[in-house]
Amino acid sequence: MGAGRWMRRLFGRDRWRPVEVTKDSRTSLSLDYLTFKDLTTSNDELLEIIADIERKLEGGTAFGMAYLRNRTVGCATHTYRMIICLDKLSSRRYQELHVVFASMQKRLEAILDRTQPASPGTPRLIYPLSEVDSSSAARVGGKSANAGEIRNRLRLPIPDGFAVSIDAFAAFLGHNQLAGEIRALQLKREPDDSGGLNEISQQAQERITSSELPPALAEAMLAAYDELCPTHGSEPRVSVRSSAVGEDGEMSFAGQYTSVLNVGRAGLVDAYKEVVASLYSPQALFYRSVHGIPDEDLPMGVLCMTMVDAVASGGACSVDPNRPAAETLLVSGAWGLGVGPVGGTVSPDTWVVSKTGAREILTSRLGWKDTRVDPVDEGGVASMAVQASERQRFCLSEAHVRELASLVVMIESHYHCPQEIEWALDRQERFVLLQARPLRTAVGERTEPAPASQIDGHRLLLTGAAASRGCGSGVVRRCAESDDLAAFPAGAVLVTRHSSPQFVKIMERAAAIVTDIGATTGHMASLAREFGVPAVLDTRDATVVLAEGSVVTVDADSGGVYEGRVERLLASNAVAERKSVVGTPIHSILREVASVVAPLTLTDPRNPEFRPRGCRSFHDIARFIHEKAFEEMFRMSDRVTSATQKATRLDERLPYLVYLIDIGGGLRRAPSPCVRLEDIRSEPMSALLRGMMHPGLRWWEPRPISVSGFLAVATESMLSPGGGDGQRRLGDRSYAIVAESYCNFSSRVGYHFAAVDAHCSESRSRNYVSFRFKGGAADDGRRARRCELIGAILGRLDFQIERNGDLVNARLRKFPRDAMLQRLDQIGRLIVATRQLDMRLGPGTPIAWYVDAFLEGNYLFEPPGPQVQSAPAPEWPAGKER
Amino acid sequence: MSDHVRVLLIDDETVFLDSMSKVLRARGYQVGVARSGTAGLEELALHEYDVVVLDQRMPGMDGVTTLDHIRESHPILPVIMLSGHAQMATAVAAMNHGAVDYLLKPALVDKLCERLQTAMEKKSLLEHLPR
Repeated sequence: MGAGRWMRRLFGRDRWRPVEVTKDSRTSLSLDYLTFKDLTTSNDELLEIIADIERKLEGGTAFGMAYLRNRTVGCATHTYRMIICLDKLSSRRYQELHVVFASMQKRLEAILDRTQPASPGTPRLIYPLSEVDSSSAARVGGKSANAGEIRNRLRLPIPDGFAVSIDAFAAFLGHNQLAGEIRALQLKREPDDSGGLNEISQQAQERITSSELPPALAEAMLAAYDELCPTHGSEPRVSVRSSAVGEDGEMSFAGQYTSVLNVGRAGLVDAYKEVVASLYSPQALFYRSVHGIPDEDLPMGVLCMTMVDAVASGGACSVDPNRPAAETLLVSGAWGLGVGPVGGTVSPDTWVVSKTGAREILTSRLGWKDTRVDPVDEGGVASMAVQASERQRFCLSEAHVRELASLVVMIESHYHCPQEIEWALDRQERFVLLQARPLRTAVGERTEPAPASQIDGHRLLLTGAAASRGCGSGVVRRCAESDDLAAFPAGAVLVTRHSSPQFVKIMERAAAIVTDIGATTGHMASLAREFGVPAVLDTRDATVVLAEGSVVTVDADSGGVYEGRVERLLASNAVAERKSVVGTPIHSILREVASVVAPLTLTDPRNPEFRPRGCRSFHDIARFIHEKAFEEMFRMSDRVTSATQKATRLDERLPYLVYLIDIGGGLRRAPSPCVRLEDIRSEPMSALLRGMMHPGLRWWEPRPISVSGFLAVATESMLSPGGGDGQRRLGDRSYAIVAESYCNFSSRVGYHFAAVDAHCSESRSRNYVSFRFKGGAADDGRRARRCELIGAILGRLDFQIERNGDLVNARLRKFPRDAMLQRLDQIGRLIVATRQLDMRLGPGTPIAWYVDAFLEGNYLFEPPGPQVQSAPAPEWPAGKER
Repeated sequence: MSDHVRVLLIDDETVFLDSMSKVLRARGYQVGVARSGTAGLEELALHEYDVVVLDQRMPGMDGVTTLDHIRESHPILPVIMLSGHAQMATAVAAMNHGAVDYLLKPALVDKLCERLQTAMEKKSLLEHLPR
């Protein structure tokens, strides 16, 4: 090819032919545009879900199986939607993605399938306590297993009774199709929605209590009850207690589930349903969520035991939970049933007993036993006043305390770990044990705390029983268990009349807890220790002394509550780090899910593994699709073919001949042969064109070039094997596909390919600008430097940049509409301003200077530096056919 | 944008229908409701709608079967599938059968409205394409 002919080609004399777009191709472009929008929307939503999963992996926030299922299906939905979209854009070029996706879907389904394996053989609904021990926990739940162990292995007194099995629970749920319904209910709640938790809880519990028991189960329960009659009278009263799998084990679940007391034959079935329903009490849902336990992993067994005609009842800890090194145990008790002292509504008598020698009673403290709970004839229990003379009397004699202490030590020895026990003393003055579970004690090396005393500048307001060690400070917030605890502020000190396991719902947020009444051996104390919340109980009058809104410091080492914020105590007795869900069962499931969903291994499109089979996760699939989808979109205008319907020519002074294809609201006028800028309704296209038409660009003027640069470009283009392609492209028309909020513009002029794909609207989350630039007529070094320059300029304009040789990919997402339009204007200027830079970007070119020059509006890049020589004046088309 | 957009909600859950139709009406949508797949198809035969929100699990004719019938009778009518049972298989099935979107209950109203808007844009473009 002669140099003159080449120069004419290079600088753009062209014989413009009318360009036509078929109806089919217009339809195809519109559909591609819509498909591409769907694809990018799903990509964004998928990445948001992945980011959320990754935040949950850090372990700071509780979540449940509903969260996991919801997010996993969300990920699968968006990933699959992207696959379908790419199928449409690429004419099904990447079918292997379906295979890869199906394999990942299968893995995720296996991870999320928490169906409990059925017991081998015929399901057994009832187990007499005589047949149960600790090895039965998976069949009858934790509490029944412990009761059976104490009865059958330790031979200690436990009431007669029977266990309603885990199989029975499964039969009950299956008979009423409850599992799926409750799962669907839980899906309706976001993990941090505590108001929703109450609603879900109420609906789930109502659904359970209104369901029928399978006839075989009801019959089996009543038959087991009837077998108690020969020994315990014609209609013995029983307690119906929760015995969920995992309960009374490593995690206490103290007081989280319901016990129904003093139940006769007629009430047995309803009591069973009430206990099962308590699996979904708000506090139980919260407790499991915080401990990372999937609901389906903890099916509910039920323990039915004959009622003890109790003179006194209470709890005991085989070591002092706050002083585990001391050789002491704690006993607490009150008149009547254990509901009062264990549940936290009665201030009990307490004793500290030496574990060594003759069980010497080291200290005893008379409680404030103003009420007692007793069974009533019509069933159930009632609270009644305690006579004044009884209030002043310990509910156990010293001999009783020592006897009980011996039982406690035996149980601890049997289990080889500290134990928490509930007991009752019957009218024959015999102790009966009601349950035992592992005791959580303070961890770490701590010095023996000194008794609470005055501190300079801070009044000692109260003292009480230190139930959960540590020190916390905050604003006093008085609450009752019936209040809306969702409104409890983070970092406040809970001050309340009674201790209650209901307060588990605020334990993640409370700085400390102070109660008028409550025992260190009670349910709430156990929970406070599990959650690491400093708790001082049994202060008698915290709700009177501590003013709402005042700042206090609760030192649960010494049992003191101080006025103001006592930095010295907070520094020395700080609470150990609060519970994280890392390492819990639910966190392990999340980790497995995340391994299929979140890792991004497919990062480099040049890598041979950048293919469907190389995808290791949904994230990889999305990355692959995103890349390929943009490739398809950048090829969009190539698919315009000659046929019957004309594209609209832009009649403006531009270095390109631009044809517009309107796929929906992109132009203000009906289809016509040519339009002006003001006829374009597409905001992103208008912005881009305004930038390209910026008067400071003066593209129509001859551009100074260095001699060496010009020769480098000319030589390279003549020698380059790809030069033929470049020459074919010379002077090609540029096409823009436009819709109201969208444009897709590509230009191939000279040896440069520039493409813009953008969506700009008021909906910020959907906004993006994607820009791709490739090529140049110079040698590799100059082309790379031009890309470096373009990348640096776009980087300063907030774009994310990927560079690969002479290819620049730049993306900007989720900026407001006006900011997007401003960036498009800049891209328009950039496309035109840099068109001849190859010739000037020799080795050692100060790229930073060029970047500054561009951003300052010096689009001619003056002063240019060394000696220059004018190039032949280009004959740029002005956008009109000639 | 939502003015005069006609949305048909098909779901057997009365509570969902009542609450969602109330919310959508407050946002300017014209809302029709049907309590089963069959009732939904009858409603579509009688009145014109711009977009359908269809529950996946319903007694009688399930969501995917209803979707198939809608695709036959109203090829460009966008259908957004909703499900209260998070299952990947049903999500994949819904999209394979031509649902434009698949959302899990409880669908946040803002998100559903965003999807309704996208579906409307798509329908509007498809309607204006040369046939």
